[in-house]
Formats: sequence, structure tokens, C-alpha cells
Amino acid sequence: MLSTLIWVPMLGAAIIGCLPKNVSSRQIRLSALLITGAMLLWTFWVMAQFDIHQPGFQLTEYLPWIETLGLNYQLGVDGISLVMVALNSLITWIAIYSSHDNTERPRLFYSMILLISGGVAGAFVAQNLLLFFLFYELELVPFYLLISIWGGDKRSYAATKFLLYTALSGILILAAFLGLVWLTHATSFAYESLMGQMLPLGLQIILLSLLLVGFGIKIPLVPLHTWLPDTYVAASAPVAMLLGGVLAKLGTYGIFRFGLGLFPEAWATLAPWLAIWATVSVLYGAAAAIAQKDIKRMVAYSSIGHMGYVLLGAAAHTSLSLVGAVSQMVAHGLILAILFNLVGVIEEKIGTRDLNVLNGLLNPIRGLPSISALLILSGMASAGIPGMAGFIAEFLVFQGSYAEFPIPTLLCVVGTGLTAVYFVILLNRTCFGKLDNAIANFPKVKVSERIPALILATLIFILGVQPAWLVRWSEQTVTTMVSTIPTVTNIAHNLEKQHLKM
Amino acid sequence: MDFVNLASQLNAGTIVPEGIVIITFLGVLIVDLILGRSSSRWIGYLAVAGLLASIVALYFQWDNINPISFLGAFNGDDLSVMFRGIIALSAAVTILMSIRYVEQSGTALAEFIAILLTATLGAMFLSGANELVMIFISLETLSISSYLLTGYTKRDPRSNEAALKYLLIGASSTAVFLYGVSLLYGLSGGQTQLSAIANGIEAANLGQSLGVVIALVFVIAGIGFKISAAPFHQWTPDVYEGAPTPVIAFLSVGSKAAGFALAIRLLTSVFPLVAGEWRFVFTALAVLSLILGNVVALAQTSMKRMLAYSSIAQAGFVMIGLIAGTQAGYSSMMFYLLVYLFMNLCGFSCVILFSLRTGTDQITEYSGLYQKDPLLTLGLSLSLLSLGGIPPLAGFFGKIYLFWAGWQAGLYGLVLLGLVTSVVSIYYYIRVVKMMVVKEPQEMSDAVKNYPPISWNLPGLRPLQVGLVVTLIATSIAGILSNPLFTLANNSVANTPMLQQSMLVNPQVSVVTTQQP
Repeated sequence: MLSTLIWVPMLGAAIIGCLPKNVSSRQIRLSALLITGAMLLWTFWVMAQFDIHQPGFQLTEYLPWIETLGLNYQLGVDGISLVMVALNSLITWIAIYSSHDNTERPRLFYSMILLISGGVAGAFVAQNLLLFFLFYELELVPFYLLISIWGGDKRSYAATKFLLYTALSGILILAAFLGLVWLTHATSFAYESLMGQMLPLGLQIILLSLLLVGFGIKIPLVPLHTWLPDTYVAASAPVAMLLGGVLAKLGTYGIFRFGLGLFPEAWATLAPWLAIWATVSVLYGAAAAIAQKDIKRMVAYSSIGHMGYVLLGAAAHTSLSLVGAVSQMVAHGLILAILFNLVGVIEEKIGTRDLNVLNGLLNPIRGLPSISALLILSGMASAGIPGMAGFIAEFLVFQGSYAEFPIPTLLCVVGTGLTAVYFVILLNRTCFGKLDNAIANFPKVKVSERIPALILATLIFILGVQPAWLVRWSEQTVTTMVSTIPTVTNIAHNLEKQHLKM
Repeated sequence: MDFVNLASQLNAGTIVPEGIVIITFLGVLIVDLILGRSSSRWIGYLAVAGLLASIVALYFQWDNINPISFLGAFNGDDLSVMFRGIIALSAAVTILMSIRYVEQSGTALAEFIAILLTATLGAMFLSGANELVMIFISLETLSISSYLLTGYTKRDPRSNEAALKYLLIGASSTAVFLYGVSLLYGLSGGQTQLSAIANGIEAANLGQSLGVVIALVFVIAGIGFKISAAPFHQWTPDVYEGAPTPVIAFLSVGSKAAGFALAIRLLTSVFPLVAGEWRFVFTALAVLSLILGNVVALAQTSMKRMLAYSSIAQAGFVMIGLIAGTQAGYSSMMFYLLVYLFMNLCGFSCVILFSLRTGTDQITEYSGLYQKDPLLTLGLSLSLLSLGGIPPLAGFFGKIYLFWAGWQAGLYGLVLLGLVTSVVSIYYYIRVVKMMVVKEPQEMSDAVKNYPPISWNLPGLRPLQVGLVVTLIATSIAGILSNPLFTLANNSVANTPMLQQSMLVNPQVSVVTTQQP
């Protein structure tokens, strides 16, 4: 069942790559849409099969693969991975939908996107550490090509930077995985068998730090983020949607699953530092976004800030804050996708992303009124205005973590305020004001170009007024996860058990 | 000694695979003498058939219950079967790619194949050689043939220079090796068989004496030359650039595999008493090779030179398995060499194909190639990405296994260095992919603009295509379907008494058990 999610896109990628030359770009896009649409439907089916009251992994699949390495084909979903898989299917479909009819070299483009989609789905459902790593590294080359072939200015620089950073992140993660498996003398990389490991705290902290830096590059957290603005800006709109909407989630998902799940004791020890780290990330992202003159860069920095909330929620590790963090991952995925989509449309129609040039797009006749309206809506969603998914997620995070870390939480609330500041700057400079008569002959926005943003806006709105549909999937999983994080008495108890065994 | 007894001592059945290669070699020579140039249409296939027959014969050698032959001079254990297979396979693919190349250079094909088969023979014997003289003779057979192959296109000054350089360095490093070997003979009280030497040294109580250490260092100088480990690598870039490309393909896989086979056999059976020392020396070599190979490859403009530095670096990766010295370590080496065969030969096939069509091998000349030659682009991209260790290609699984084995053996620093340098390697491998795939049509190089229409009908191009496609498929799926290969590599280590013995002793240097005769 879960295998379908991985292999249908991969197979689709192979088929699309081999389509004959006379198939037009339009038809290729349509077939890619069909494949991802089928995948989306299949995701709904998986969600329907999922039992939300059960905490463990469900719909598991197991095939022995390479026993020598302890690498087995082991899949399964729990509440966290399920929502991530759903997000992946949705964003992939939307990204393909918002790509152009006449993309150059369409075979390569769509097969790379499908490859990424299958790989990301695989990483989310893999229950074997090495299998996760395999899928994680699988994104490397397709994204490199997507950025460096179809990107904007400075794409070569951005793509190389992305490649090196991501490869480095992969290595740190692999080192942590190898270290964990070898130090626990486990015979395989199976996730569940590693869960109850009993390493000394010092070693746990070292391994956890490796993971944090590895995944922190991908998320990205503040000093490890420098690849992000370049890459997001250089990538074309569909690719940026995938990068920000899905790939960044691999980082936070990795932190949840492997950081929090495998090293609960070390996590509890490091949590205060992580909360501070998250706060720095949030404030830095917001402050840097305020200073930008390019709307795409602004959105890119907003992404850094918003991913900081996820880390804050994870650091607090109460069940409320974790639910909030998972919701924030989804909300951020949706909001970033809509923002990149709209920015892409604006750039295409107007030909610039410069805040000093853009003006008066809300003009109902000669401007881009529908796009501007959607931009205002999504800017508000990103800034955490109630009624939309962003608010729910941030509020859950703040409420969940206030009891644990009051000061970082308050500073993050300030960060939300700063988010509102730069989005108001952005909206003010782009949507309001007067159109410049010299350049104001923009091409019309077609209905089909509005649809992706409309779908995303609807979703953001629905999840904002009916948050239960966002939260219910992961509640049970997260509660169980929290119960494994020890308090001091628990640690002592464990030690006692160990002694008894000896 | 009566005849029956002598025959059983000789046990000539163990070298049937080599026998087939010898017959093929003679066949090629004689056919060439009788029929002349007109035989060149099919003589390549004859040689490939011979090599494949030899591989089939190797299959029947698997798990030979009586592997010691020729009065102890040759050991046909599973370890040697594995390495002989790798060498024969690399020679077979090399011949496939050389038919057109040699033809186009206007030299005789049969002579080329004959020398290549001699080199193969030397390398195969080297993998099983169990005695000092035998080791030296087969090493020289391999080396001398390699010098000849390097200078085969004798009108090309670069090829001449490469041959001279290879000859001078090779001959002197063989001399150093020979000096080390002669020291071993003296130290052990006149023993030439590897296990007897170990016993002799122990009996003479020379355990970790200066003499043994000097012999060890001299021997390692010879081995390091063959596997092109830094700092014995200086010949590699120049020879790779000057020599005919198929020769390089063979040197980078067949000759290197033979070097590693020699390293395993010699170091584990002769030097168990100084295991700590040779591990240390090889750690240094691996660190140097990993850093130097990967960093210097960044700055190369010629494809063949880049692959030369990459092969230095890849030797560094393989050495991790050798240093680990565990069951997993040896079998990860073998697995990596096997997948290295596929990736490297696939890559070199593409390089040959490109230089046959355009006459150049500068990296910048590859730009925009995807439009003119998709198969070449696909082949070269996948093989280079696999060399860089990108999943799910064969090289990824090879590297994971090496790192896994290294980590299990506690070589944390080395594994971390391997990981970091493999990021560096991704950079220069993907630079070529970028040239071919990413460049726009208007950024096409001159060579690609004037790219001849693709046709596979010229004599010798079809085998090149077959070799390319087969190695390409193997590179793409040997990782995913690697279980049989893993089992093969593991079994060959598990069934080799020599290695099992050495693993019992290797962690501590103090104890030595009697080696298998």
C-alpha cells in the first residue's frame, strides 16, 4: 500500500523519461498531472485506511533486502509521517499544475519532479534508518538538475551550493546512524529495534548533535541556512514550492523521528538550548526578511523563521506543542507553496520581483487583482492571523511551549509580530499604491494560473476554521512520543532495571 | 617422488582458467600470423569468448576443496577466484572497448589483444600467487605488459612519454619490492612460501625486528604503486592522460584489483606479527589518497586526468576495508572492486566513445552533449554519479558497505574522512554531468556542435555499445539487486582459510597461530 506511493511516481518518472520525441510538452505535463493525481487519490485512500486511535506504525510492509548491511525494505506510517506524505502528494500535484505548458525539456523536468516525489514519500514512510538515508540522498541530484537547468539568475552557483550543503547534511546523518547502530550493537538499522536504546547520555548527546546539525542544514536553522535564500530565489516557482513545501519538511520530520524518537533522554537534556536556537532562528529570519528588497528573498527568509517554530515546539516536547509543530509543518508547507506560486505568477506577468518597482497591483482593471488578493490572504496566513492554518499551528506551539520555556516563547511571539511587519511591507509595496503607467500593460492572468493558489487558499482557510482536521491525525502518535521522553525519575527507573538485568 | 604423487602435488586443475587464457592468447597470436590484418574483424570476439570461458571455468573452481597447487606456489582459494574473476571480466570489457579504438589509431589489434591477455594472465596469477618468486614473476608479467600497452600508440608523443614514465617508476618500484622480498627470504631462513615465511620469522624470533619492518615498508612501496595509493601515485595522472584509453580502463580496474589481491594475501599471511604496523602505514596511505585524490581532481580540465585522480581516491576508499581487516572489511573491498569495475568501465567506455567521435577529451568540450548523444550522456552521468556514491546506484551501496565495515572495526576517523571527501568527489563528478546535461544549446562546445551523426555500424562500435550498455545496466541495478553479490563476496572471505586465520590473530599482534600450509 505504501509502496505504491513510492513506486508509482518512480515508474512514472521512468515512463515520462522514455516518451518519444513527438509527444508535446503539454501532453507530458498532463501525464505527469495524471500520475500525481492518482497518487493524491491513493494518499486519500491511505488516510482512510489509517486508524487514528492507534499509536504505532500502521500499514507496515517488510521485505528482506540486504541483510549484510542491516538494510531492509521496511515501511510504515504513523500520525506524523501520514500528514507529511499527504502534504507531499498535494504539493507535488500543485507544483506540477503550476508549471508551464511549454517547459523546455519537459521529459527531464517532469521525471525529476516525479522522482523527487517518490523519494520524499519513501523517506517519510521508511522505518529503516539506512532506507531513510537512501531516500534522503535520492533528492540530491534531481533537485540539483531542477535548479541548475530551469532556474533563474545565478542558478549555477545556487545549485552547487545546495548540492554541497545537502550532501554534507547527508553525511552527518549517516555518521550519526552508523554510530548509533554500531554503539548499540544492533544487527540492523530497523527503526523500532533502535528505539529503546540505552546509550550513555554523553554518547547520545554527541549523536543527537550530529543529527541536529545534519537536519538543521535541511530545515534550515540559523547559522546553517545560507544556502536557502540563494537556492529558493534561483529556483523556478514549482521547484521552489517543492523545495520549501516538502524538502524542508524532511529536515523537521527527521528531527522528530530520529532526534526526538531515538534520543529522548539527550533531547530532554538539550531542550533548553534548542529552544534558544529556535528563537534565534525565528528572530533572525524575521529581521533578515524585513531588510530584503526582493519579494522572493523575503519569502525565503520567512521560511527560516517559520521553521524555527517547529523546533521550538519540538524542544518543548509537551504533547500540545508537538501537535502544534506537526501542524506548523503542514501549515508552512501550504503557505509557502501558495506564496511561491503567487510570486512566480507576479514575476512572470510583470517581469520583476523588486519591491521598489512593483506597485498598485490591486488595481482591478490593469493590475492583477485576483493574484494580489490571494497574496494578501496568504501573507496574512503566514503572519498568523486567526482563521487560517498558520494561526492554529503557531498558537498550539506557543501554548504548548509556554509552560516549558516562557522567555523563548515570548520572543517567538515577537517574531510573529515581525512577520506581520515584513508582510505588510511586502503587501504595501506590491499591492497598494498606484500603477506606473509606463510599464502597466501586463498580460492577463489565465484562470488555470489561479487555480493552484485558489486550492491552497481554500485549504489554508478550511484548516484554519476547522483545525481538528489538521490535528487529529497526529494526536495519538505525539502523545505516545511524549510519554517516552523521560523525566528524571524515569531515567533512574531505567537504570535500576538495567541493574536488575545484570 | 613418483609421478602420481607429483601430479597430485602439482594439482594443475586449479589453473584451468588461466590455461584457457593462455590458449586464447596463443590462438590470437597464431591467427594473426597466419591470416594477417584480415582477422581483425573477429579476433576481438575470439579473445572475449576466451575470457568468458575462463570466467566459466572459474565458476567451477569455487569452493575448491584442494586449492593449494604447484607445490604450494599457487593458491586457488575463493579469494583468488573472486579476484581472478574481476580481472578476467575487466579484460573482457576492455577488449570490447578497444576494438574500435585500436583500429582507429592505425595499429594492429591482435598484438594489442595479445599483450592485454598477457597482462590479464599476470594479474590472474598474481591473485593466487602464494610464493615469493611466483608473486614476483606474475607481478612483472603484469607490469611489463602494462608498459607495452601504455606506449602502444607509438606515434603519439604523449603515449611515449607516459610509457617511459611508467616504465621508470614501475621498474624502480618493482626493484624496491624485490629488495623487500629478498629480505623476507633472508629473514625467514630461506623460505619462499608465504606461510612458511611467517613461521620462519616467528621461529627466528624476529617478530617485530627492524628487518621485518623494512621488508614490510619495501613491499608496501611495490603494492602502493600498483593500487596507485598516494604517495606512490605520481605515475597515475600522466599515464592515464597519455596511454590509450582502453589501457587505462584495464589499469584502473584489472591491475588495481590484482594489486589489492596481492596486498591481502601478502600482508595477512606474511606479516601477522606486524599487523599493527601495516595497518598504520595503510591508514596513512588511505588518508593521503582520499585527500589528495579528491582535492586535486577538483582542478582537472582533462577528463582522463580527472578520472586518474578519482581512481587514486577510490583506492583510498577500498583501503578502508583492508585496514578494517575483518570479515566485513575484506568482503566490502571485494564488493567495491566489483562495482568499481562496472562504474569505471562504463565511464571509460563513454570517454572512449566521445573521443572517437570528436577526438578530444577535455571536460569543457562535453558541454551540451545531451542533445546530440543521449545514450553517452546517460552512461557517463550514471557512472560518474555512481562513482560519487549517489543512491540508488551501485557505488552508493559499495561505499555504504565500506563505511559500515570501517565503522564496525572502529575506524571512525577514517570513515568520517571518507564521508567528507566523498562530498568533495560529488562536486567534481557532478561538474561533468552539469557540462553535459545542464548547458543550453547555445552554450554547446565546438566539438559537440560538429558532432557526427550517431551510427553504430562502423566496425568495432557495436561491441563498444554492448560493453557500454551492459556496464551501464550493471551500474544502475547492481546496488538494488546487490544481495547475490554481497553473498558472493562474503562467502569468498568466509571460505578462505588464510583470511579466517588472520582474523583470529589480527586484533592483537602478540599471538600467531600456524598458518594453513
